[in-house]
This record gives sequence, C-alpha cells and structure tokens, in this order.
Amino acid sequence: MSDPFDDFLGKALAPPERDPDRAFVARVHARVLLHEAIRAQRQSALQRLSLQLIALLAVVAAFILLSQSPDVAAFVAESPAIVLTALIALFSMLIAVFASRAGSSSDSAAMSAFSRV
Amino acid sequence: MPERNEEDLALSRRAAAGDAAAFAMLVEKYERPLRAFLLRMGAGHVADDVAQDAFLKAWRRAGQYDGRARYSTWLTSIAWRCRIDQLRRDKRALEPDDRGSEVGSDEVQDMLARLSDGERAALLLCDGHGWTHAEAAELLQMPLGTLKSTVARAKAKFREMWERGHE
Repeated sequence: MSDPFDDFLGKALAPPERDPDRAFVARVHARVLLHEAIRAQRQSALQRLSLQLIALLAVVAAFILLSQSPDVAAFVAESPAIVLTALIALFSMLIAVFASRAGSSSDSAAMSAFSRV
Repeated sequence: MPERNEEDLALSRRAAAGDAAAFAMLVEKYERPLRAFLLRMGAGHVADDVAQDAFLKAWRRAGQYDGRARYSTWLTSIAWRCRIDQLRRDKRALEPDDRGSEVGSDEVQDMLARLSDGERAALLLCDGHGWTHAEAAELLQMPLGTLKSTVARAKAKFREMWERGHE
C-alpha cells in the first residue's frame, strides 16, 4: 500500500497541469527579437565605425604624403593661411558627412527594430 | 541520447542558427515547470522576470546545449543563476508574497516556506519535478551525499508539518 504522504507530496510539488501560457511565450519572443535587433544594430555601428576610421587614416596618410612633396611644402610656406582655411573646410565637411550618415542609419535601424517588436 | 533530448537538441540548434520560432517552441514546452519552480522557490514578485531572463540567456547560449543533459535541467540551471543574481541586486525578490499559491495550495506554500532555500530546492526538484539526485546535486552545487541527506531532511520536516496539520 502506498504511503498517503508520498502521494500527497508528489501531487503537491509537481508543476500544475495547464496549457502553455501564450502571453508569456509572446513576451519572451518579443524580448528575443528586440535583443537580436539591438545586436544587429550594434554590429552595423561597429562596422561603420571601423570603415570610417580606415577612411580617416587614408585621408591623414594622403596629407602626410602630400606635405612631403617639395612643391606643396613651398606653397604651404608661402601662403599658410590658404592651406589652413582649406584644411578646416575639409575637416568640417568630413564631420558633416559622417554625422549625417550616422544619424540616418541609426534612426532607420531603431525604426526597423521597433517595428519588428 | 534519449529521444526527448534529441528533439530539444534539434530545436536548440535551430535556435542557435537564429530560428526564433524553434526557440518559441522550447519556451512553450518549458515555461510551465520553470515558472512553477521559481514561484515555489518564493520568487513570487520577480518569478516571471527571472524566467524571462533565463529564456533570453538560453537563446543567447543555444549553441552551448549539447543534449547530454535534459533541456529542462540545462534551462533550470540558467534560471537558478539568474535567481541568485536577482536576489543579490533586488531586495524586492526577498519580500514575502502570495503568488506561490498560483501553483498549489497556500498550505503547501506555507510548509515550503519553513524549509531552507537548499532544502526547498532539493525537495521540489527531486520529489516534484522528477529530477535525479545527481541532476539536483549538480544544479545546487552540492556533493551527491549531501544532496541526498538534504532531500531526506526536507522530506522529514515536510512530513512532520503535514502530519501535524492532519491530526
């Protein structure tokens, strides 16, 4: 004969019999999708940043090479104000280009993540 | 490998490859025992948060499940660590609440509350969820002998309370 306590224990501690909680499953699913969207966004941001760094390094290297040319060095010595103005204009343009790209792509990634969730 | 593990391993592999629908099937299958365990462990206010965190971690680590243990064992060990982290950072998780009665009678929940954390977990897993002593010992990071004596002690205390209630 089975022990009534053991019968009670088994029934009392077993998880309750019920259908799956669809709302809970949906909440977990939404969190998974959001996590993936954020991960994709982070990855693309890192990719973009590394590309921008490479581009910037290439520009700096080009300037260094140019400055080593005797003709350019003579021009810089003769009219430093023009060279400085050109450099500032170029730098501002680079900042404007990078900032506008970063802004538009992060907005679209965030919008797509939000719409998927 | 048991057939059930193979099925869960296949779903977990699909999840590791990015298949969220396959993972949703695992969530559907295991949310009931996991949430019942967490509620019984007294994580009432935060049981669902802990369960969600555990599932999210299981999704991120889906590639690490190798099918040697049961999926429920693997998942519960993740949830157990999530619960410990939650207890460390959120004092609310320690507050008493009545959500435990959602998985059974208040009487059972009261009796469980009088056991220590380790006794409650060992008893729930071995006598309620059908875990082997070895599985529970691994989760609770106890030597097998200690786990067995913990279960026996918890059962004896539980029996005493039950008999007192039925005198």
